[in-house]
Amino acid sequence: MDTKAKLQILSGAARYDASCASSGSRREGPSSGTGNTSTSGICHSWADDGRCISLLKILLSNDCIYDCAYCVNRSTNPVERASFTAREVIDLTLEFYRRNYIEGLFLSSAVMQSPDHTMERMVRVAETLRTEEQFGGYIHMKIIPGCSSELVRKAGLYADRISVNIELPSQASLQRLAPQKHKHAILEPMALIGREIATSLVERKVCRHAPRFAPAGQSTQMIIGASPENDFQILRLSQGLYKKMNLKRVYYSAYVPVTADNRLPALAAPPLRREHRLYQADWLLRFYGFSAEEILSDEAPHLDESFDPKTAWALRHPEFFPVEVNRADYATLLRVPGIGVVSAKRIVAARRFSPITPEGLKKIGVVIKRAKYFIICSGRSSEKPDQSPTVIRQRLLLGAGGETAVSAHPEQLVLPGLFA
Amino acid sequence: MNSYLYDGTADGLLSAISWILEEEADPEKVTLSERKDTLFEEGFTISTDAPRAESLFFRLKQHAPDAAHTLYSFMLAEKGEMETSLLHYVSLAFRHGDQVKGYLTHPAIRDIVNVAKKAGRELHRMKGLLRFEKLQDGAYLAKMEPDCNIIHPLAYHFSRRLRAQHWFLYDVKRRTAARWNNGSLQFGTIEQFTTPALSEDEKKVQALWQAFFKTISIPDRKNPRLQKSNMPMKYWKYLVEKQGE
Ligand code: SF4
Repeated sequence: MDTKAKLQILSGAARYDASCASSGSRREGPSSGTGNTSTSGICHSWADDGRCISLLKILLSNDCIYDCAYCVNRSTNPVERASFTAREVIDLTLEFYRRNYIEGLFLSSAVMQSPDHTMERMVRVAETLRTEEQFGGYIHMKIIPGCSSELVRKAGLYADRISVNIELPSQASLQRLAPQKHKHAILEPMALIGREIATSLVERKVCRHAPRFAPAGQSTQMIIGASPENDFQILRLSQGLYKKMNLKRVYYSAYVPVTADNRLPALAAPPLRREHRLYQADWLLRFYGFSAEEILSDEAPHLDESFDPKTAWALRHPEFFPVEVNRADYATLLRVPGIGVVSAKRIVAARRFSPITPEGLKKIGVVIKRAKYFIICSGRSSEKPDQSPTVIRQRLLLGAGGETAVSAHPEQLVLPGLFA
Repeated sequence: MNSYLYDGTADGLLSAISWILEEEADPEKVTLSERKDTLFEEGFTISTDAPRAESLFFRLKQHAPDAAHTLYSFMLAEKGEMETSLLHYVSLAFRHGDQVKGYLTHPAIRDIVNVAKKAGRELHRMKGLLRFEKLQDGAYLAKMEPDCNIIHPLAYHFSRRLRAQHWFLYDVKRRTAARWNNGSLQFGTIEQFTTPALSEDEKKVQALWQAFFKTISIPDRKNPRLQKSNMPMKYWKYLVEKQGE
């Protein structure tokens, strides 16, 4: 099989992975080599589905010995199989990088022969790129659950980001749907990576030349809707991953049935709305100072269908509002539905010069369609004061600032993790 | 209200601003525009003084690095008829320092910041969208037609990135070029441009990239609108993956 045919099979099999980020790492390129990375990340193209293309995203192989129920590459599914040689991946990466098509490489794989065998071959690709080819661009590598910790360590030394897919939100589901994968084989490397990242950060404070370990951090991905866990369980899991394992990102992917299997639910459509709400709740955890317990509870364990989680929280907490935009601190502004990080920063910056009026808010580019029910500006409100949550709820639902359809956020166009 | 004129060059603009800031008690009350020598033009012409222009920029950079960066980006946009706004912006930046960028309720600041942002956005975009082709002699060439005059900062970006290659950037409309070879970066203009021959394997690599571009997209999720809003069609001309579609 020629490289182009392999590329088609093995990039086609990788396209459902959610992460494409090339940010979070900054490396000066080697003077005799190719490539550097920039903190903010760069998109090099946008595919026909509108998603950013930043990395050469491929599997090393789709020839899997495992049989995960939700995955097209599982051993019992009759699909065409292909495997790259290390050289093929290296050449593709370099040729593409030199022409500025990509920021770097995203390498994952199905399990060939054994986890160690697969991981070893993946690490060899990264090692050759970094040492022989002096490649300074971005590398994201998946860890194959069950491989030795030595290989995990090596991967972290060469890659900017490494990730282990958690796959399903509970051990019970994992056992049922991916019987060859074990919880500890997933969590152990995650914990190891977390520790290594922390150690390397400390060492680099002491000595600038200490080796870097996955400087862009670690991420993971889980499938939503293939198993019975509720949103509260999922959010608490993510919260734990952010806090205890130092994860940079948790990706959620709505389950899309690829084959009939009586272990899997029969869904009319992939739960995209749910995935969207989970991403929004995840943002609240990471950037807005919310905890999982503020967003959901055992009594109400599901995210609201019609309202984003912040609006839902605001409607449950009328005592918190209205917020006076000229006095509220940054953290309080962030709790106002419709005011995001950018708007909150603009408000804080602009009110240094003069008090902000409702017109002024518009001038600095703050959209108040939803926020207007929750704020006052220099004592004035563009809405009648003292509206009850019920009234606000109705008005928001009538389209005055409510969300009517799931917006196509590029990162949500995701199907299950089709590989390890 | 006093009116001033300058010769239309970047140096002229900055030296005029520098002069006004020194001589005028309230710079926010005066206007500045390009001298067109029309019949009814009124105003005092300030002569161009390159060192003075440079010194203004460096003073601003020390005083308010962010605001200086905004000024730099604004100049890349080559936007005419906004001289008075720029004058007021610089004056306010000396008064308030970097906090000035938050003063978006002020019309001059909003206008300048918006134009600067546009230039910054295009620069960032081109860092991703620029495409090099390998030539027969082993060098790489990238052609582009950006709205803003971004060849300098763009070439600097690639000089940190593609260090081992010999490459050229060429701004087709402005006829300006940058060249990186053996660790040195040069700029110049090209009056007569003829496209050099491509290396033998170039088309093969391009075909691989086109194949990847096709398969990486999720088939049932075509979204040309989102694609175009992220990657406006005006940039497609030189995109390998958008050729022959
Ligand atoms: S999820 Fe990974 S391990 Fe499981 S069948 Fe798919 S490729 Fe193989």
